[in-house]
Amino acid sequence: MLAILEYDFMRRAFIVGILLAAIIPCIGIIVVLKRLSMIGDALSHTSLAGVAAGLIIGINPILGAVVTCIVAAFGIELIRKRIPKYAEMSIAIVMSAGIGLAGVLSGFVKNNANFNSFLFGSIVAISDFELILVACISCIVLLTFILLYKELFFISLDERAARLAGIPVGPINFIFTILTAVTVSIAARTVGALIVSSLMVVPVACAMQVGKSYFQTVVYSILFAILFTVSGLFISYYARLKPGGTIVLIGVICLVLLLAGKKILTLFRQSPGQA
Amino acid sequence: MKKRLFVVLTALFALTLVASGAIVSVQTAEAAPSANAEGALLSVYASFYPMYDFAAKIGGDKVTVVNMVPSGMEPHDWEPTAADIIGLENADVFIYNGAGMEHWVADVLPTLQNQDLVVVEAAEGLELREGHHHEEEEADDHEGEADEHEDEEDHDHGEFDPHVWLNPLYAKKEAENIKNAFVLADPENKGYYEENYAAVAAEFDLLDQEYRETLGGLPNKDFVVSHEAFGYLAAAYDLHQIGVEGLAPDSEPDPARVAEIIDLVKENKIRTIFFEELASPKVAESIAKETGAETGVLSPVEGLSDEELAAGADYFSVMRANLSALKNALQ
Repeated sequence: MLAILEYDFMRRAFIVGILLAAIIPCIGIIVVLKRLSMIGDALSHTSLAGVAAGLIIGINPILGAVVTCIVAAFGIELIRKRIPKYAEMSIAIVMSAGIGLAGVLSGFVKNNANFNSFLFGSIVAISDFELILVACISCIVLLTFILLYKELFFISLDERAARLAGIPVGPINFIFTILTAVTVSIAARTVGALIVSSLMVVPVACAMQVGKSYFQTVVYSILFAILFTVSGLFISYYARLKPGGTIVLIGVICLVLLLAGKKILTLFRQSPGQA
Repeated sequence: MKKRLFVVLTALFALTLVASGAIVSVQTAEAAPSANAEGALLSVYASFYPMYDFAAKIGGDKVTVVNMVPSGMEPHDWEPTAADIIGLENADVFIYNGAGMEHWVADVLPTLQNQDLVVVEAAEGLELREGHHHEEEEADDHEGEADEHEDEEDHDHGEFDPHVWLNPLYAKKEAENIKNAFVLADPENKGYYEENYAAVAAEFDLLDQEYRETLGGLPNKDFVVSHEAFGYLAAAYDLHQIGVEGLAPDSEPDPARVAEIIDLVKENKIRTIFFEELASPKVAESIAKETGAETGVLSPVEGLSDEELAAGADYFSVMRANLSALKNALQ
C-alpha cells in the first residue's frame, strides 16, 4: 500500500474528498447555469451565523448552520425572483447579511473554543460524525440529482419554458434549494468553505471547455473535481502544502491550461486553411 | 437641477461638521473628570488576561483593572471596539504584552488623544525568541525531518514568539515593568506597589522552582501541542515542544506534517496530545485517535473562561495545572 494511505486521517481525507467532489459539481452546474456561481461562498459565510446562533441558544451548531443556510438559500431565491435581471445581486445581499449577522452574534458566544472548532473545517482532520454526515448527504444528493436529472436541466436552462412544458418548477426549485443549503453547510464545516465554493464552480468551468452536451459537461465536471481533489491531496502531502489551497489552485491551473489549449487548437486549425 | 444638488451637498457637509463637533465635545467632557480626579483609583487597561492578572495583583485595591479581551475569547485575533478606545481615552495606565501579541496596539496608540496615559510594553527588555525556528535547531537530538520542515512553514505571528509569560521568570520581569509603570503613574502609593510586587515576585520564583524540580527528573522531553505557544517554557526547562500547526492557533495543518507527528508520537510513545482550550481541538483529536494517545489541555494562559474565573483560577493556578498535565504526559 502507498505510504500516504497508511494513515487513517489521509484515508478519511480521500473518502470525504471524493464524495464531495462527486456531489458538489452536480449542484455547481445548475447554480452556474442559473447565474448564481457565488452561492457557495454566500451560503458558507452565512452558515457561520448559524453556528454562532446555535452556540448561543444551545442547539447543535451544525443544525444551526443547516437551518440558517436553508433560510439564506430561500432568501436568495426570493430576491432572485424579484430582481431576475440581476440574479447575482441576491447573493451579495444575502452574503453581507449573513456575515454581518455572524459578526454581531459572535460577540455573544461565550466559549470561543467551540466556535472555532465549528468554524474551521479541514480536510485532514475529519471526525467519525462528519464522515457519516458527508456519506449520508452524498447519497441523498446523488439520488435526487439522478431522479430529477431532466427536470433540473430544463429549469436551469430556461425556467419559463420549463414551466410551460408542465414541469413543477416550484417544488423542484424548493428541493434543489434545500439540497444546496444542506450540502454547503455540512461540507463547509467539514472541509472548509474554500474547497466547497471552488468545487462548485471551477470543475464546471473546465468541463464546459470540453463537454459537447449537458450530459458530458456533468460527467466531465465530476471527473475534474475528483481529479483536482485526489491530485491536490497527493501533491499537498508530498510537497508539504496546505491541502485546501492546493486543491483550488490545481483546479484553476487546469482551467487556464484548458483555455490556452483551446486557443492554440483553434489557431492551429485556422492556419492551414489560411495558408 | 444644479442648484438643488448644491443645496444637498452643503446640507450634508454642515451635518457632518456638527456631528463630528458633537462627538469631540462629548469625548472631552467624559475624559476630563476621571483623568484629574484626586485620590481616585488608578484606572488600568490590560490588553489580555495575564497582563490583567499581574496588574490586579500588584495594584491591589489602589487600582481598577479592566481586561480588554472578554473571557473565553482567543486574544490573537481580537480587536478593540469603539467602547474600548473610549475606555483607553479615560484610562491612566495601559498595559500590553508586546512582542507582536497585540497587533492592534500599533494602530490604536497614535490615534489616542489621552496625553497622560502611561503605556507599558510588559515584554520590554526581555530576550525574545524568533518565531519558532530557534527551538527546533536547539533541540538537535531530534531527527532532521522536523527541523527542515519548521523553516519552510509559514506563520502569521510576526517576527517573534510573543508568549513570554509562559516562562515564570519572564513573567516576573513583566510584572516588574507593570509595577514601575504604576509607580510612575501614582508615585504616592509607591511603597504599596513595591510591597505587592515583592510578594508576587516570590510567587513567580516559587513557581519556577516547582517547574524545575518536577520536570527535571522526568524521562521524556517531547510534548505535542496544537499551538506552538510554549517555546519560552520549553527553553527554560529543557523540554521540546512539537507543534502541529505552527504558531497561529487556527491555521490549517499540512498533511505531511500531521503524518510526521503521527509517526513521531508512535515512535516516542508520546501519551498525550495537547490542545488549548480557546482553539479548535480537531487536529489534536484526529492525531490522538490515530495513535491511541489521549488528548489533554495545556493552557497558554491567554484567557480564562468565566467558570475558571468564578472558581478563583489565576495565572498561578493555571500554570500549576499545566505543570501537572506536563508531568503526567512526560512520565
